[in-house]
Amino acid sequence: MYILKNAIISIVRNKGRNLLIGLIVIVISCAVSVTLAINNSSNSLIKSYESKYEVEAIISMNRDNMMQNFNPEDRENSRENMQEIFEAANQLTEDDIKNYADSTYVDSYYYTMSVGVNSSDLEKAEMTSSNNDFGDRGPGGKQDFKNQTNGDFTLKGYSSIEAMNEFIEGNYTIVDGEVSEDFEDNSCIINSELATLNEIEVGDTITIVDSEDDSNSYELVVSGIYEEKENEDNGMSMFSNSVNIIITNTNFISNMKMNNEDLDVSITPTFILTNINVVDAFNAELTEKGLSEYLTLQTNLEQVENATSTISNVKNFAITFLIITLIIGTVVLSVINMINIRERKYEIGVLRTIGMKKSKVCLQFISELLIVAFISLILGAGIGAIISVPISNQLLENEISNSQNQTNSIRQNFGKGMETGQPPTQDFANKEFNGVTSIQTVDSINAAVDLKVLLELLGIGLIITLISSVSAMVSIQKFSPLTILKERS
Amino acid sequence: MKEKDIILKVENVSYRYSDAEKDDYVLKNLNYTFAKGKVYAIKGKSGSGKTTLLSLISGLEKDYEGSIKFEGKELREIDLDDYRSRDIGIVFQSYNLLPHLTALENIILSMNVSKLKIDKKSEKALELMKSVGLTEKQKDRRVLRLSGGEQQRVAIARSLSYNPKIILADEPTGNLDKETENDILEILKGLAKQENKCVVIVTHSENVCNQADIIYELTSSRKTTKK
Repeated sequence: MYILKNAIISIVRNKGRNLLIGLIVIVISCAVSVTLAINNSSNSLIKSYESKYEVEAIISMNRDNMMQNFNPEDRENSRENMQEIFEAANQLTEDDIKNYADSTYVDSYYYTMSVGVNSSDLEKAEMTSSNNDFGDRGPGGKQDFKNQTNGDFTLKGYSSIEAMNEFIEGNYTIVDGEVSEDFEDNSCIINSELATLNEIEVGDTITIVDSEDDSNSYELVVSGIYEEKENEDNGMSMFSNSVNIIITNTNFISNMKMNNEDLDVSITPTFILTNINVVDAFNAELTEKGLSEYLTLQTNLEQVENATSTISNVKNFAITFLIITLIIGTVVLSVINMINIRERKYEIGVLRTIGMKKSKVCLQFISELLIVAFISLILGAGIGAIISVPISNQLLENEISNSQNQTNSIRQNFGKGMETGQPPTQDFANKEFNGVTSIQTVDSINAAVDLKVLLELLGIGLIITLISSVSAMVSIQKFSPLTILKERS
Repeated sequence: MKEKDIILKVENVSYRYSDAEKDDYVLKNLNYTFAKGKVYAIKGKSGSGKTTLLSLISGLEKDYEGSIKFEGKELREIDLDDYRSRDIGIVFQSYNLLPHLTALENIILSMNVSKLKIDKKSEKALELMKSVGLTEKQKDRRVLRLSGGEQQRVAIARSLSYNPKIILADEPTGNLDKETENDILEILKGLAKQENKCVVIVTHSENVCNQADIIYELTSSRKTTKK
């Protein structure tokens, strides 16, 4: 106890020396806390990017395996074989998907169903251009297994809002009405061109007919009308690609399938994996569960890595800066400590002469250093925290504004924006969409330099203080009290 | 001198510096005994090894030949830090007080270092200060604000703070005027006579030697004489 009391007295009565040490520790602590805050911001950015680009896995054709069945010397038969294999591999059912999704590697999943249908009261939008690909091909680039469907129209069902990538990515935008949030009702949304051709308005009812069995007909209420963004693919077409696509929910299509077992429904699942490292394990699990050898998993890992590379560089720079600061800080503190110990040789001599053990002398000197370092670290962390807020916000600024714009824009795509007069429901307002960052602005010091940063800072500070005092401790061990006092005399 | 009063024995002690030649001894075959209740003066010319002898007795130097025994125990075999902090009190010519502490704090520090159970340390320290001629007003002064004589009194009070059995004083009056020298000598003599302590004073002052009970003289030829 008296050691601590002595240390405090010594600090208070040798202000000049301790102020110098304190100032250096404050500067180091300030630099370290800013660096740690940058590192934290980078981490939250990387995290938000990783959640923005959730690891999505879709089941797609394994073309390498498919092509192995192709015999160039027997082209005709090979083609037929491949077609058979292709169709066999495509027979994924809802039960298959649920079975695949029942995995520890899967966070969530959604799927789309599509089926060819006819209509008794709708006129199909006919193309005059050579581009007559009315297949179920979304502008987002995802292609269903069946790109040729029977019937005049493609009825496409989504299992949830999250599955509606075309709207999230902005390729489809609601221009009237809204997307129903009830995925078990009998609502639909149709293309604006189809609506114009058939004079359909929101609230109207349309009748669709099973393409395989005319006796099965269904009614759908139009809850919204969407428009497809113009793209290069159909620049010379009369209508947009999605003109004959009617959008509803998977529940509706499942009911159709229940009424007619022969209905040719294709399903495209998307699995959201728990993290980046489980892709291979999930692939192996699917094979074990019986996924055809001609199908394989495709992920968006490259997209995730590309998105985080820039911010990873900032993070690496911050860590390098941190290491350099710590090395310089440790060296400077060590030198100051050595000078201090030389100046305090007399004190060491007196303490040793009156019988204080070397270990106690070391303890007193280290206590002094730790007290000064601790106070300075807290002060430095405070100053660093104040500086960190604008620095962190600068880093996050673009992401925050992009995220807000994207979220607003998605709401409008679904017909839920404030401007549409249909304010989003609470559920919808809280929804996070794949492809949109969910990053928040740093509006307080706590957020920039939180408890974790503070603890890291204290840990780092105390470690460099102890490292820098090693030289002092060695000197104390080597000093002979008699020699010191003789030199003094 | 009664055997039971002997507290310290120096037997065949020789010492040479670690970098000195093989036969170049500073001290050669010294044999002294020190008893309680006596004042000893160790005199000799500069370079005769007076302070070196005091360093050996105080356990600050331990690479000697021969034997030094405190209460029958060989110094080499006991914890010298404990020995210095409890059994002996050292008073230096240059006082060796800690300048950032007050007079009182210097005395209390020694009590704390000794780890002995001492009640009411502040009162005890103040009492000691008064016993060596210091006033209450001086207790809270940093030692550098005290005169040489006052600092030496603080050093004596510090050396007495844990009630040691031996007081070793190295030229305690070397920096003081005649009048103060006499005051300090009176205090040291009083410690021997009234408190039954063994007081060993290294000096080349005739005045100090005259007041000692026993004088050990170190000569350059390494011979010693006894009063």
